[in-house]
Amino acid sequence: MVTLRPDSTGRTDPDAVDATLAASGDAHAFERLYRSHLARMYSLARRMLSDEDADDVTQDIFVRAWQKLGTFRGESAFGTWLHRLGINVILARRETLGIRRQRYVDGDATLELLPSRRGSPEAAMDVETAIDRLPNGARQVFVLHDVEGYRHEEIAEMLGLASGTSKSQLHRARMALRRHLDR
Amino acid sequence: MSDRWIDRLSEYLDDELPAGDRTALEAHLEGCAECRDTLVGLRRVVTRARALEDRLPSGDLWPGIAERIGAHGAAPAGVTRFPRRFTFSVPQLAAAGIALALLSGGSAWLLHPGPAGPVAVQPPPAAPVTPALIAPGRRTRSVRSYDTAVAELERVLAEGRGRLDTTTVRVLEQNLAVIDGAIAQARRAVAADSANLYLNSHLAATMRRKLELLRQAASLVATAS
Repeated sequence: MVTLRPDSTGRTDPDAVDATLAASGDAHAFERLYRSHLARMYSLARRMLSDEDADDVTQDIFVRAWQKLGTFRGESAFGTWLHRLGINVILARRETLGIRRQRYVDGDATLELLPSRRGSPEAAMDVETAIDRLPNGARQVFVLHDVEGYRHEEIAEMLGLASGTSKSQLHRARMALRRHLDR
Repeated sequence: MSDRWIDRLSEYLDDELPAGDRTALEAHLEGCAECRDTLVGLRRVVTRARALEDRLPSGDLWPGIAERIGAHGAAPAGVTRFPRRFTFSVPQLAAAGIALALLSGGSAWLLHPGPAGPVAVQPPPAAPVTPALIAPGRRTRSVRSYDTAVAELERVLAEGRGRLDTTTVRVLEQNLAVIDGAIAQARRAVAADSANLYLNSHLAATMRRKLELLRQAASLVATAS
């Protein structure tokens, strides 16, 4: 049985309509969803992993979404459902990459190597680059909390951490970025 | 040095400190320039993180995705592709297609009975050419195509509404009512100022919304069959 739920204004989320159509095999509807959410999912993948992995992981996210569309019940916005699914795909990839990557081990030293461009037109990109240089744990927590807006309890559940660890990693990330941006 | 408090500044910033600690930290901040400066810096980091903009990949990822999901006709895993009980006849499809084409592209569509001669309309933005002319006879046929398409889609929805749950039906009806109200309002505005290209474009866009919603609803009926 198809169910579409109105939002707070009483209107149906157009994504939910496309998701319903896509779940029945309508690839055009799924492509519309892809176009609508591509930038957000790609940016999430890039920030959580790296530029070099972002294309592959973004593709994986949408392929997984296609496979899982039958589980989307419209109880939350499609974007919320996709975002959570995307994080799961990213975290699974992270596990794989963590085996062969050594620069995640520890320390804020990598940030010290970065030139600071505070106040320049490239400042936003500079922040992105600085995030990319954060130690792995601090980076995941920072992106999920300060960029994506998740709460520590949610992050702790996703990453398998204690909530206190999530808080301390966030503080660590912010302090490292502050030192970089304050130069 | 105030390490004890510096390590709590993020919690303070996120309003996650217990009330007692918060009060103590605020008292400490009054006398500690280092903590105040650090707090300003942390706040700047948070502000800039929230202001980050998403960006698109350098290339289109869709072809790769489409290939992996077998986009040409494949249903997602675990989902049975529903047989479509409702089919549209060629004339029905043609009527819907013509109506959508006429309503698309931003072309103004004068519905109000106008003067006997041809009516000037605004060209689509993508093709800025001399305003086209639509003869009243063609305009009448366009209206008829639209009405036919809407009527057919409404019939499909009416016959298939039993296959949709009540929430969905209610939401569809609410949306259709909103759009119908907007169409009626736009028609009145056009009637009062038939040469106003903006009003005509608005009316056409609103009618297009109704047609698209009905098409989506008909698709839902088909998938729920």
